[in-house]
Amino acid sequence: MASTQLTDEELFMELKRFGFTPGPVTENTRPVYLKKLKKLREEQQQRGFRPGKTRTIGAINSTTGVGSTAASRPVSHDVTHLSASRRPGRKSSLLGFSSDESDAESPLKRKGLSHSGRASRSSSSQQQPKIRPATTPSVALKSRYDPSATASSNFSLGQNGDRSVSVGWGLGARSGPDAEQRHFDDSGDENNYEEELEKKSRSLNGRSASRLSTSKLAGDYSDSDEEEVGGPGAGDPERERLEPRRNHPKVALSSKLTDRGSTIGGEHTEVTPPSFLNMGGSRGEDEEEDDPKRRDFGRLGDSLSHRFPRKTVYASVTENHEGKAGKNNPASVEDGTSRSNSTGLRPRFPHYSSLSQAYRCNHSNHNPAANHSCSQAVLKRRVSVPEDELLQQFKREELASSGSFSAHYLSMFLLTAACLFFVLLGLMYLRMRGSGATEVDDVSKYLAHPQKDVILNLLLNLHDHLALVAGNSSLYSVAGQNKEFEDFIHVSLEWIIRTGQDVGIRLMGPVADDPVTDVSEVIWLESTHPKMSFTCRFRRAFFTVINRVLLIVVGCVWSVVCYMKYRWRREEEETRQMYDMVERIIDVLKTHGEACQENQDMRPYLPIPHVRDSLVQPQERKKMKKIWERAESFLSANESRIRTETQRIGGEDFLVWRWIQPSFNCDKASLITSKVWQGKAFPLDRRNSPPNSLTPCLKIRNMFDPVMEVGENWDLAIREAILEKCSDNDGIVHIAVDKNSREGCVYVKCLSAEHSGKAFKALHGSWFDGKLVTVKYLRLDRYHQRFPQAQGCSTPLKASSLVTGVPNTTSRLQQHVSAGSPGFS
Amino acid sequence: MSSTSQKHKDFVAEPMGEKSVMALAGIGEVLGKRLEDKGFDKAYVVLGQFLVLKKDEELFRDWLKDTCGANSKQQGDCYGCLKEWCDAFL
Repeated sequence: MASTQLTDEELFMELKRFGFTPGPVTENTRPVYLKKLKKLREEQQQRGFRPGKTRTIGAINSTTGVGSTAASRPVSHDVTHLSASRRPGRKSSLLGFSSDESDAESPLKRKGLSHSGRASRSSSSQQQPKIRPATTPSVALKSRYDPSATASSNFSLGQNGDRSVSVGWGLGARSGPDAEQRHFDDSGDENNYEEELEKKSRSLNGRSASRLSTSKLAGDYSDSDEEEVGGPGAGDPERERLEPRRNHPKVALSSKLTDRGSTIGGEHTEVTPPSFLNMGGSRGEDEEEDDPKRRDFGRLGDSLSHRFPRKTVYASVTENHEGKAGKNNPASVEDGTSRSNSTGLRPRFPHYSSLSQAYRCNHSNHNPAANHSCSQAVLKRRVSVPEDELLQQFKREELASSGSFSAHYLSMFLLTAACLFFVLLGLMYLRMRGSGATEVDDVSKYLAHPQKDVILNLLLNLHDHLALVAGNSSLYSVAGQNKEFEDFIHVSLEWIIRTGQDVGIRLMGPVADDPVTDVSEVIWLESTHPKMSFTCRFRRAFFTVINRVLLIVVGCVWSVVCYMKYRWRREEEETRQMYDMVERIIDVLKTHGEACQENQDMRPYLPIPHVRDSLVQPQERKKMKKIWERAESFLSANESRIRTETQRIGGEDFLVWRWIQPSFNCDKASLITSKVWQGKAFPLDRRNSPPNSLTPCLKIRNMFDPVMEVGENWDLAIREAILEKCSDNDGIVHIAVDKNSREGCVYVKCLSAEHSGKAFKALHGSWFDGKLVTVKYLRLDRYHQRFPQAQGCSTPLKASSLVTGVPNTTSRLQQHVSAGSPGFS
Repeated sequence: MSSTSQKHKDFVAEPMGEKSVMALAGIGEVLGKRLEDKGFDKAYVVLGQFLVLKKDEELFRDWLKDTCGANSKQQGDCYGCLKEWCDAFL
């Protein structure tokens, strides 16, 4: 829309059409209203697709009015009438449908409309049994309702683009069922229905200002009907098939509907007659359930259209009166829900009204059956209310299930872990057991002796005995002494040797570990599978398990300890960094505070983000984020000289830090003025300085006052000051600060007389720390007498980089000094 | 219930008369200057705009944002201040 070309009046009218009463559109308010108009249009576009159509529809609507259509088909009139009247109620549902998918009414209504519309169209065109048109529209609807994300596709009823759009919006849905109702209702109750619907719609009118929407619905009716007419022609058998199916789903749906309540709005309830699309009946139901979750417009349309046919069928096939009564109730329910949703739906009204207008213009040919459809639609709407509740319930269940999902996982994990542990335990236990009995079977294979049974028995006994003995004492045991079995023993022993298999008995000769080859060497028999008593076995298993578990536990503990150490180290590191940050912040704030003291124009506080950004490099900001926050909280908790407050800087609110330590004037003064070069007192010329440098050694007087000096390293500060002052002179090799001299003397030795001359010029007559500095030349030998160590010095001294332990304040002050001195001098 | 600033209380306490636009709550020096540049040099002119927009909060806030670049808090303060003044004196 070329909103910029709108005049004030046009802008005013446009805004009014959206149902919004603007104030005067003046020069100042114009941009605001333009923005508002844009926003309203966007909202409308989301709901409908043709804002322009809305306007035209609205116009048509206003002109046609209820029952004013001189359509050939009485139904259309009624439909229009009904739709007009219904619109108020439906509009809310429709609006809800378009914008708020939770509003179940609208989609239902829309579906009903579309259905009714289609039905009417088909009936009008073909004059077939009412059922067929209904089925046909349902078929057509169904085909259209193939899950498409956009309503437009659903409602692309065909040629009539506008109408399809409106149908999509649910108006069509509404008209659908109505039309169907009309068709299906063979009795002469149509008029009654119409009247009821009219009344209802009128009552609904009061609900919302969506009169237009109802008219639109009417228009949709006609449109959808007309379009449906073409389709149904081919699907007669389908329709009939649909019919019975519709009934079934209807019943199912009705129960479902009753369960649901109308929380979501009447949409779903209205659209209950998904039986219409029985093929997709289940689909419709699924859709209904999905709708609240997905809020997909297209789906709503589907569900609506689904439901609508069902409703109509229900009403027509089963108890008409009940249906009527039901309709009345749903209508009221709808009303209630619509009312409740009206506020939410208000923004949708424009769209709705546009839709209704669209329908309106197309409704000219509706037959009186539209009224029935309307009532049916109302009924359907009501039915959808319980559906909505059901949907919501499903949604809640889904949510609940998802919430407990992680808990479920956890419990499963624990369960599996416990099972695994026990399985492990059992396996270990099993391993302990002897498996002695297995090998005996092999014996029969090898033994050709007829007495093999005896031998077998003997072996078994031997084995058991040995096992027992071994279990008890793990010692050797002599072979059985039974005389009669001696031969067998011999044979069996031979056999054992021959087989070489482990039958559970180990033959040992006099030397324990040598393999025996002859029976005669056999002295000892040992069972390799000791059969221990249960307790013994259990004990062994238990100990093994304990050992294993201990091993694992020890391993875990060790790893945990390592991890803890690592964490502890990390914590320490971070704390150290935090303290470092805190100190830096304090320094920054202190200097800022001091600077503000001098310069009253500056604000005495600093925004926290600014401080952070100045202290932390951009590439480190992310890493230091945690440390910064800790520093911040530390400051607010532990630092009394810094106050956190909110200030407005440049129109924006900032959290700032204010340095509130009142500067100790003496201290501050001394801090500010100490160790600072403050410019020259007099220009050096021939009168007050020697013409040329005489010696490489200088004695500088009045640099300090030993009584006044405080601190540990003031002499270093003095050195620093001198080096800084003579920074251009790289010939200073030795500086000695005489701490005890009353005059504040500093002795300086330079590389050559030239250097000392330069230093002389730099230092002589300068103000330092409020004192006037004087320099004089010293004899080199005297200097060396005084400072023997200076004889060896030949490397030029550099300022600050070589000096360690200089307090920060000093360096900063010196910086201040260097900054200040140019101005000073 | 949010507390009101001193500025708000001062403004709402008496008829605005010829008070400058900077006397409005939420409008400081910077915003006040911008409003003055646009022609809203007195508080009553802003009041006029407020009334023309039918005391609608959203519209007024939008207008304020467009005119002088007020942020959300400032908009809210100004709107609240004018609204209360109107309730008291209009």
